[in-house]
Amino acid sequence: MTVLQPQRVEVTPKSLTGLKDTRGESIRRQLASDHGLEIAEVRSITGYLVKGNFNDSHHEKMVSDLFCDPIIEHGVVNQYILNDTNIFPEKPDVAIQIGFKPGVTDNAAQAGLDGLKTLFPAQSEDAEVSTTMTYIFYGIPNDLDCQWLANQLHNPMIERAIISDQESCENNQWPTLDFPEPPVNIFGIPTTIDLEVDDESLIELSDKGLLALNLEEMQTIQAHYRDPMVRATREREGLPPAAPTDVELECLAQTWSEHCKHKIFAANIHHVDTETGEDSHIDSLFKTHIMKPTFDIAEKVDWLLSLFHDNSGVIEWNSEWSLCIKAETHNSPSALDPFGGAMTGIVGVNRDILGTGLGARPIANTDVFCFGPPDYDGEIPEGLFHPGRVFRGVHAGVRSGGNESGIPTVNGAIVFEERYLGKPLVYCGTVGIMPRRLADGRESHDKTPSPGDVIYMVGGRVGSDGIHGATFSSLELTEESPSSAVQIGDPITQKKMVDMLLKARDDGLLQVTTDNGAGGLSSSIGEMAELTGGAKVDLSQVPLKQVGLSSWEILVSESQERMTVGVRPEDCQEFEKLANLHEVEATAVGTFTDSGDFHILHGEQSVALLPIEFLHDGVPQLQLESEWTPPINEEPSYPQANATDMGDILSRLLGRPNIASKEWWVRSYDHEVIAQTVIKPFCGVNHDAPGDAAVIAPIHGETQGAVISCGIIPRYSDIDTYAMVAGCIDEAVRNAVCVGVDLDRMAGLDNFCWPDSVESEKTPDGRYKLAQLVRANRALDDVCRAYQLPCISGKDSMKNDVIMNGEKISVPPTLLFTLLGNHEDVRKAVSSDFKNSGDVIYLLGQTHQELGASELVTMFRDECGGGIGGIVPAIDTTRNLALYRDLTAAMRQELVVSAHDCSDGGFAVALAEACFGADSGCSVDISEIFNDSNSLDKWGALFGESLGRILVSVKHEDSLQFEEAMANNACFRLGEVCNGDEITITKSGETILQASMSALKQSWQATLDGGGA
Amino acid sequence: MVEIPQVAVLTGFGINCDVETMAVFEMAGAKAHRIHINSLVNGDDSLENYHIMAIPGGFSFGDHLGSGRLLGNRLRFGIREQVRQFVKDGKPVIGICNGFQVLVKMGLLPGDDDVSLQQTASLTLNDSGHYEDRWVTLEFNSDSHCVWTKGLSRMRTPVRHGEGKFVVPDQTVLDQYEQQQQVVARYIDPKDEYPSATNKPLSYPLCPNASMRNIAGVCDPSGLVFGLMPHPEANHSKWLGATWTREDIGEDWKGEGIAVFENGVKYAKENL
Repeated sequence: MTVLQPQRVEVTPKSLTGLKDTRGESIRRQLASDHGLEIAEVRSITGYLVKGNFNDSHHEKMVSDLFCDPIIEHGVVNQYILNDTNIFPEKPDVAIQIGFKPGVTDNAAQAGLDGLKTLFPAQSEDAEVSTTMTYIFYGIPNDLDCQWLANQLHNPMIERAIISDQESCENNQWPTLDFPEPPVNIFGIPTTIDLEVDDESLIELSDKGLLALNLEEMQTIQAHYRDPMVRATREREGLPPAAPTDVELECLAQTWSEHCKHKIFAANIHHVDTETGEDSHIDSLFKTHIMKPTFDIAEKVDWLLSLFHDNSGVIEWNSEWSLCIKAETHNSPSALDPFGGAMTGIVGVNRDILGTGLGARPIANTDVFCFGPPDYDGEIPEGLFHPGRVFRGVHAGVRSGGNESGIPTVNGAIVFEERYLGKPLVYCGTVGIMPRRLADGRESHDKTPSPGDVIYMVGGRVGSDGIHGATFSSLELTEESPSSAVQIGDPITQKKMVDMLLKARDDGLLQVTTDNGAGGLSSSIGEMAELTGGAKVDLSQVPLKQVGLSSWEILVSESQERMTVGVRPEDCQEFEKLANLHEVEATAVGTFTDSGDFHILHGEQSVALLPIEFLHDGVPQLQLESEWTPPINEEPSYPQANATDMGDILSRLLGRPNIASKEWWVRSYDHEVIAQTVIKPFCGVNHDAPGDAAVIAPIHGETQGAVISCGIIPRYSDIDTYAMVAGCIDEAVRNAVCVGVDLDRMAGLDNFCWPDSVESEKTPDGRYKLAQLVRANRALDDVCRAYQLPCISGKDSMKNDVIMNGEKISVPPTLLFTLLGNHEDVRKAVSSDFKNSGDVIYLLGQTHQELGASELVTMFRDECGGGIGGIVPAIDTTRNLALYRDLTAAMRQELVVSAHDCSDGGFAVALAEACFGADSGCSVDISEIFNDSNSLDKWGALFGESLGRILVSVKHEDSLQFEEAMANNACFRLGEVCNGDEITITKSGETILQASMSALKQSWQATLDGGGA
Repeated sequence: MVEIPQVAVLTGFGINCDVETMAVFEMAGAKAHRIHINSLVNGDDSLENYHIMAIPGGFSFGDHLGSGRLLGNRLRFGIREQVRQFVKDGKPVIGICNGFQVLVKMGLLPGDDDVSLQQTASLTLNDSGHYEDRWVTLEFNSDSHCVWTKGLSRMRTPVRHGEGKFVVPDQTVLDQYEQQQQVVARYIDPKDEYPSATNKPLSYPLCPNASMRNIAGVCDPSGLVFGLMPHPEANHSKWLGATWTREDIGEDWKGEGIAVFENGVKYAKENL
């Protein structure tokens, strides 16, 4: 008998001695931690709606063998478990059920469906599953608004909630969501878009269609369709000769989007500097300041294998292996759905690694986030989430995505600042490893497609989710931003695909591979078609999540977990067999050609024909105006402070979210899977002191390592973006030096996140913001050349603005600089924690009076007003590099037992953190560092953020040898690590800072404690 | 006598510690093979070709419907007799983290003499409510006949899980497991003198998940099948330790975790 109504399965934890309803309890604690809400008890019920040919005889097995763990859970079918008074003896105050909206990825449901297929293969053929979670509340405050409570538990953009209030609960009316029936898609026959209209109408076409193309670009497209040669070819292929189809226009919009084409970085910029009188033109910041320095370095070294053109940059690590690295941002999606947006961010950048060359294995993730203050108590514009909630959601998404994929999160940072309230920045990075050569001799960083190779789409299916992600992220966020741009990742589908594709690579079955990210098939096939000179694709072959998608939707949908690969015809059978073994869907959708065209069919009908050259090189160059006038910042005011007051200031600084321990959050990332993590995010005797950079030893049993570090200091942008970028790069290098990086083999990644910097009505200060970008790029060029640190890949996100209720919030210009370096012998890696009492403490590098935009003056501003002005740290690359080289040499001689970089909060913060790792105190005298700088005062000495400084400790017996090794550098012997709880800093016999280490640690750990056990 | 034991390291569906698990078996003197579970189901390969089976850690099926549940079902329903025969043939099995969860959910652990694959215990959400990665110290039951832990006293390893709380419906069941020396590994406070394993609940985070009686790992009645939540394979070399930069290591960089795999390999060499 076929049952049409979905079966309703409900499962809840048993109350056994020692067993809690942990899901409910977590919600209770989170509400207490985030909102100070006291609720007596929260319980949970997991629900499954199951459609399929199941009858009563299947129910018992379905529950006991699949949906319910009989040891610890109760399960029922087609009954309300809340009616069972043995399980729920008391009536709740409120019950809220949460479920997904139709069409949203429900990973638990997919897993359930897989489980059904294992148990009942015959009945599960057309089965469908969806899940719900019901929270049951007891002892809520009388005035609690149930709708408010429901809003804390779900995101209306992707989820539904239904509430049973107290009265309904009394009457056994329980919240019951229906099966989320996906909307019916109606296949739309490709339409023709008439471009023979006036300019205003062209712009309207772009705006209405979310194409994000400007007038000149629309005119360029218009001109293309006026070309008689083009018209003739189109006629021959059965396409409307004089106008684009919707498929073509969408394909061009994706390919030409700011997101994909980086038009601002490619622009011709007229730059004026009112301070120096400079008036010049820059033909592409990217070519001038990023590619050029890297190519110049590439002439001097032989280990740069693949630069800029692939999904990530590749360097040779040794004769057997190469490493690659890439970081992406996922800012707009994370603003709308923090969990899903961040999760797709991390699994998306993993695919960039998988899509590099013939495929690399992702082996390490980095996560860097910028949020509004977690304790923000101002008004939140309608349509935005509180930064605390964004933080929780993004963290959970990245945790899920990274952990479930089996890739360790080894390094990262979290920055808090009010201007990230609108768009949070979510940087996700991944390092990959691949063999230098495959068994058949091909170098695995090179793609080797030929015309005739079969194009496969591998992994997930195409759905209506993720349409217009690329163009959407090229616009500012508004009330109208589409929910279809939001997706939830499916790490397990992706993991199966990763396993399968890497096996296919090793078996020599792949000729080319790339991921489907922004722009979907349009981008992935379009890009690879450039390699052979053409491609022919049949959209009717593409497997769909739901029927009825129109041709253009199939082409541009950014549905996740998909790769596009090219396989030789003779390898197809083996390739499909492998996919079958791994239960990965792989479908042939076309072939590579050398026709010169990207030719798209839907069945028999041609729906698009775009010349490869026009598609990739047709976009006109932007002409932009840039003008630099240094900003004026109010000077900070410094309080009167004795030694104890200074101790208190240090304590407050350590409690600032930017400096505070992130342990509660970072510990829930798996940072050790793959069994390779040598220097971890945590070090010290209690495993709770901060590590500077990650060191991994990816080949098991071998001692060569890789170093991953990062630098990010958006504060400095308020004074000068040149200093901001210089500071970021130096921070990344310094962190890497602290663990013992090989200075001769380091590569960088630049990830720019900028506010809109094209002058317009919406952005009247566009010239200044563009000048900030120019200065930032010049710093990147100067510093990377000086450190011989080539940028091998990078990304920019140029529209980090929101406009809500007419109010605009723009992020501060932000660069994340990520470094990947070699480590010659991980057994000589150094950690940041002080080791033993009696060890000698040194500060390396010069300290200047550089407090401009420091964390200290920002704190003073936040506490009692005033400005953040002053001198922002300047870089001296020659001096720094000499010091880094000598320190590295000393580390190789094993003279250094700890090294910690001085960054946010300066020397005093670094000193306290190094003590945390040893449960120690310390007594240091800093008189000497004053001798090195004329204008230095105690604020600058203790909390200034001068670059190029590292705090190290050395065994007493090695101290003379160490001093000799550092003789040509600024190296100040300050004192010793000592037992006890006191930290004392003196200057010429006078105590200038005194504090209790345990109190400092308490302050450092309390701020970002996420709540719970 | 087997000269070089052949190890089937299972993979697929979100298992993700397969590469390092293979590496540690090779360090311990065995030959490791990465075997996709479907190749055992479809008959391309068979467990009878191997001397040891390892189910590595990971996030099979994303831990949905309870960790290890769906992969356990794939084994319980897909290759039921192969698995039972393997154990009845006296061949060692180890499940680590998600692999342990699989063995418990499919009823191979704590198990019974008949290898009936009936679930009798479970592993559920940590009391903390969240996944975490932290280092713990384990102590092994020296009276246990578990072949994997012979001669071991303590070991430092990371735990990396959200569902590691070992539970049974009835405390008398635990008494019985203890009596049969099936409780093999417990979380302890490294500051306490050896031996210090106790049934008294340890505080968080010493016992990271509030596991009943601080249980970290159990074996079946035969002592051949062993499962544990912590990751001994993640301590294959001393440079992976949580505090190794604070220790005087000398020349020997072999990690504490290798001993578990050496025991399994030694057993296979001597008995198969």
